[in-house]
Formats: sequence, structure tokens, C-alpha cells
Amino acid sequence: MRLQSRSRPLGAVIVLVLVIIYLLPAGVLGSDVGNCLLCHKYPGLSRVDENAEMRLLYVNEEIFNNSVHGKVKCEGCHTDITKIPHEPVKPVDCLAVCHIIEPAEEQKFSHKSVEAFLEDSVHGKKDKNGNEKKYSEDMPTCKDCHDNPMFRPLAFVKKVRAGVAEDALGRCRVCHKKEEFIYRFYNHITTRLHKSRSPLNIAQSCARCHDDPKLVARHNLNTRAGFSYGDTYHGKAAKMLDETVPDCLDCHVPKGQSVHQMHGNDDPRATTHPENRGQICSSTDCHPGASVQFANYQVHSEFSKEKSPAVYWFTTFFYILTGGTLLPLMVIMFLDLLRRLFPNATFRRRK
Amino acid sequence: MSEKYPPIKTINGRKYFFRFNMNLRIQHIIFAASIIILVLTGMPLKFSGTPWAPYLYSMFGGIAIAPWVHKISGSIMLIVFVYHIYWCIKIFYNNHILRLKREGKRTIGSVTMAALKLPMIPNLKDAKDIIDLMKYLLYFTNKHPEGDEWTWKEKFDYWAPFWGCFIIGASGIIIWKKELFTQYIPGDLINFCLIAHSDEALLAALFLFIWHWYNVHFSTSVFPMGTVFLTGYLPEDLMIEEHYAHYVRVMKKEGLEDEIQPPHGGHSNPACNLTDEAKNLFSKSKNGSSNDSLQQGGSGI
Repeated sequence: MRLQSRSRPLGAVIVLVLVIIYLLPAGVLGSDVGNCLLCHKYPGLSRVDENAEMRLLYVNEEIFNNSVHGKVKCEGCHTDITKIPHEPVKPVDCLAVCHIIEPAEEQKFSHKSVEAFLEDSVHGKKDKNGNEKKYSEDMPTCKDCHDNPMFRPLAFVKKVRAGVAEDALGRCRVCHKKEEFIYRFYNHITTRLHKSRSPLNIAQSCARCHDDPKLVARHNLNTRAGFSYGDTYHGKAAKMLDETVPDCLDCHVPKGQSVHQMHGNDDPRATTHPENRGQICSSTDCHPGASVQFANYQVHSEFSKEKSPAVYWFTTFFYILTGGTLLPLMVIMFLDLLRRLFPNATFRRRK
Repeated sequence: MSEKYPPIKTINGRKYFFRFNMNLRIQHIIFAASIIILVLTGMPLKFSGTPWAPYLYSMFGGIAIAPWVHKISGSIMLIVFVYHIYWCIKIFYNNHILRLKREGKRTIGSVTMAALKLPMIPNLKDAKDIIDLMKYLLYFTNKHPEGDEWTWKEKFDYWAPFWGCFIIGASGIIIWKKELFTQYIPGDLINFCLIAHSDEALLAALFLFIWHWYNVHFSTSVFPMGTVFLTGYLPEDLMIEEHYAHYVRVMKKEGLEDEIQPPHGGHSNPACNLTDEAKNLFSKSKNGSSNDSLQQGGSGI
């Protein structure tokens, strides 16, 4: 009886939701003007390319529509696709001018300005004098770090769940009429208000190159950065999915600037330059009142004889102490156990 | 103390020998409980890459709460540590320094001599006992070393956590209050504090949970659990096995010379002995005949 009386309103809700979804205008759910999904909606759609690699060409419409580029039409990025079947296509150029109008300036939108920032940073392909850097092909391009992330809405006060806050949307609806715009604008703002990735995720992204021993050696870097970060409390907490601990970007990106403006330790603009280092940790949100000496904590020290001999020998001392204490005791325990289990065994008896 | 804690208690015809007073037992149990919590909340961070770490850590509230559980337990452990040192000094002052003062013999030499005779200080008898134990364990003799009131194992079990508490406690406080300490010390020292804290903690945890627990709980003479840390009194069998010299002394002092039992090693502790039948089976299948000289101490009672 109780079960029935409870299940009835729930059933009605499900029916209602299904009806609403069915009645939604197609435009709310996608921007597929070219009807690309006619083919690309099939999960098995794939081919083997010239390098004998399997290319999955399936697009999950639901995921794409909830991603930050959900409003951009397919042709907005895949500019060279004009006919079916497609000619061989070029990789997407993120710096292309897209078919979106940027609302503040009412110009066509572009990520072009990132290029200048990136070229000027430690990750640029050219050095200060405009000469090509050695191994410039290792330097990251947009898609090495960025994928097409999903919107990541905030969890507001009084709400435990992250997600769309209906009260907030209600306030938008007073003036804005277009439901799709409200939804997208809300998601854009709330996603941008915080980081779109967890510290662990960020560290893993950087580690794809910065933990690669070949790249670390070739570029003469001091450390496998993700690895040594993982040995600090920050890194360990990040592994426990703490979102409040600093990741790579919190220390390496200058305050008020973007990821694209990181600089090498020897560059006076770098946060990690010896002159600036003291200010990283003492930020109000982190360790207020921390001294410059505090910032000299070796975040990226490794157990390595060459790179940090003091750490190496100090750790080795504890290894020896641990082994030197425990091994003899374990031997005594083992002999003790044998002596108890075989009380009558002897060397002399064998004579 | 002697009225409150008689040296020998007889319950149901079994003798129990006084070891630890209530104060020490409370110190020990708080210390032990705080260390177990410290290990459980610390190891998931030391081994944060392992699959079990997040599960164990979330049992203590995860990254938001477990660090505080760790800090509070650490504070409790350090309070017990400091109290213990204060307690030792107080007893030493009352029992030795005041006595020497009364006798008018309070010199640096006499105080040092008194300090060296404190129960936790290792002495030559301990070195001899270790050598004798090795002879016994390697079957060169069937005579288990006759331990004094406090054996080398107990002194080791005392000094290892003592040193550990000092190292882990000091480095832990520095890591906790790093903003304050780095006003005075270089930041690089935090690296060394972290290494010392976690590596020494691993050593301490392994030492306690393997060696200490083996000796006081898991060894065949004591299994499944030693009770002396709760009752303060050690059963006669264990007293004979580990502290025979002291056992004889106490029995004589109490006027129980007639009831002194023969010594026995762990291999022939009557409490954990095989039945005679099983023993015969075992020795027959091995040797066909039993060797009398090896049965010394034997099945005892």
C-alpha cells in the first residue's frame, strides 16, 4: 500500500519529464545546422587513417551540447569540411575566427589573442630574440592541454549539489526571455567563476609532458614536476580529491593573468623567480604571513643523488635506520618462532 | 606503593606478579591509542598513490577532517610524552635526589650513578642476555636467559618510541606551525622535517605493530592477547619465561621459596605446550626416540 501511494506521483513526474523533453524545440538541444549528426550520432562510426590509427568519429550529442563549445556549430571549427563524403580534413585550428559573436564588443569571436601570450611565455616556440627554440616541436599547442570541457556549475551556499540553481535561473527569467540563452549564460558564468578542473586533473595534464623523462632531460628541467608535486602535502591531498589545495597553476601563473602567461624561473616576470617567490605562498588565501624563507621550501625536491644530495642522504639515513632496526628484530622473531615450533631440533643430534 | 600493589596476587590458585601501576597503564593506553590513530590517519598520506589509501582516509573523514584527527591525536601523544618525562623526573627527584640530600651525599657523581640504575637504562646484563638469547635461539643451549625485572626487549620498546616521539613530535610541530617556524629557520628544513616525520613514523609503526605486538600479544606463550597492559600483573608462566632472575628474587622476598618453579624457555612454556600425546607423536616421527638432555625444563608442571 505504502509503496503504491509513493510511486504514483513519481510516475507522474517521469511522464511529465518525458513529455517536456519530447516537446522541447530541437534548437535547445543542439546547434547542428549542417545535420552532421545524421551520420556522426552512430557510436561505431570510425575509420583507420593513413597512419593505421583508429579514428573514432562518433559525437555524443548530449555531452557536446553541455560542453563549453556546445553553442558553436560544427563548421565553426571544422572550417574545411564542405562536402560529403569529406575530403581529407585538417586538424582544428583553435585560433580561427568562429561564427559566434562576442557579446561585449559584438565582434566575431576568436582565441587569437592567446597566441601572443603563449609565444611570450615559457611554453612559446621562440626565444626572446625571436629565434626558434631548440626542440620547439615539444612545446604544447592548444589541444595538448585543452579538451572540450563540460560546464562545471558551482555549488552555491545552502546547496550541497553542484548544478543548475533554479532560484538563480528564476532571477534571470525576469528580464531574459530566451530559455536557451539563460541556460547557457548561467553555465558560462558559473563555470568561469571557478576552475574547470580539479587540482589532480591539472597536475595530470601538466605531468603528461613534465613527467616524461625524455622531455625533462631534453629541456634540461630540474625535476619531474608532477611526480615531485605528488610527494608534497598539496599533491597528496590532490590525490585524495581535495579541491582546495593549490595545483601547478596556482603557484606558476601570475595573479590576475592566465595559464598562457607562465615564465621560466630566470625570467623576472615569473612567479617562481627568486625575487617573487616569497609572494606565492603568503597569499591571503594560502599561508598568510608566510616569510620569504617559507617559500624556499623545496616543492620539487626529489630523492636523487645528483639533484638534491642532502635530501638523498637524509632519506638514505632513515632507510638504513629502518632496515638496521627492523631486520635484526625480524630475524630474532623468526628464530624465536622456529624455536617455539620445533623445540627439540638440534645441531648436535645429527652426529 | 607496596600496599596498593602487592608484588604477588594469587587468584584461583594462580600467581600474578606486579608490573605496572595504574598511572603507567593509563599513560600507555592513551599513548597506544593515539599512535594507532596517528598511523591510520598518516599512512594514507604517505602512501597516497595506493588503491587502499582513499578508503582508509575517508574512514577518518577524508582530506577535510582526517588531518585534524591526526593533529589532535598527535597533540595527545605529545602531552603524554611530556607528562611521562615530568613524571619520571619527579619520581627520580623524590626517590633518589632527596634521599641523597638527606644522606648528605648529593654530588654529581652519585646522582649520575643513581640515574644509571634507573629501570629503563640498559646495562651489561642486557648485553649478556642478548648473547645468551642468540645462543638459545640457535639451539646451542636449552637455557633461556634469566631476565631481570626489565629485560632488554622492554628497554628497547621503551627507548625506540621515546626517540621516535621526539623526532616525530618535533618535526610534526614544525610542519604544523610552518608559517611561524620559517620566520626563524630556512624553508628547506621543512623538507627534512617531512622526510624525518614520515620515514621515522613508518619505522615506529612497523616496530610497534610487528616487533612489540609479537612479543606482547602474538608470541605462542601469550597468544591471543597479553593482559599485563590492562591488569598490571603478569601471569607466573610468563614471569618465569622472561624474568626468571627477578621472579626468584620476588618469591624469596615474599617467603615463597618452596613454591619457586623451575625455569623454562619459550619453547617449553607449559601454558602453550603440546599435549604429551602430541609431543610423543612428533618426536617419534622425527627421531624414533626422545633425547632427555633436550627435555630440560620440559613440560614442567
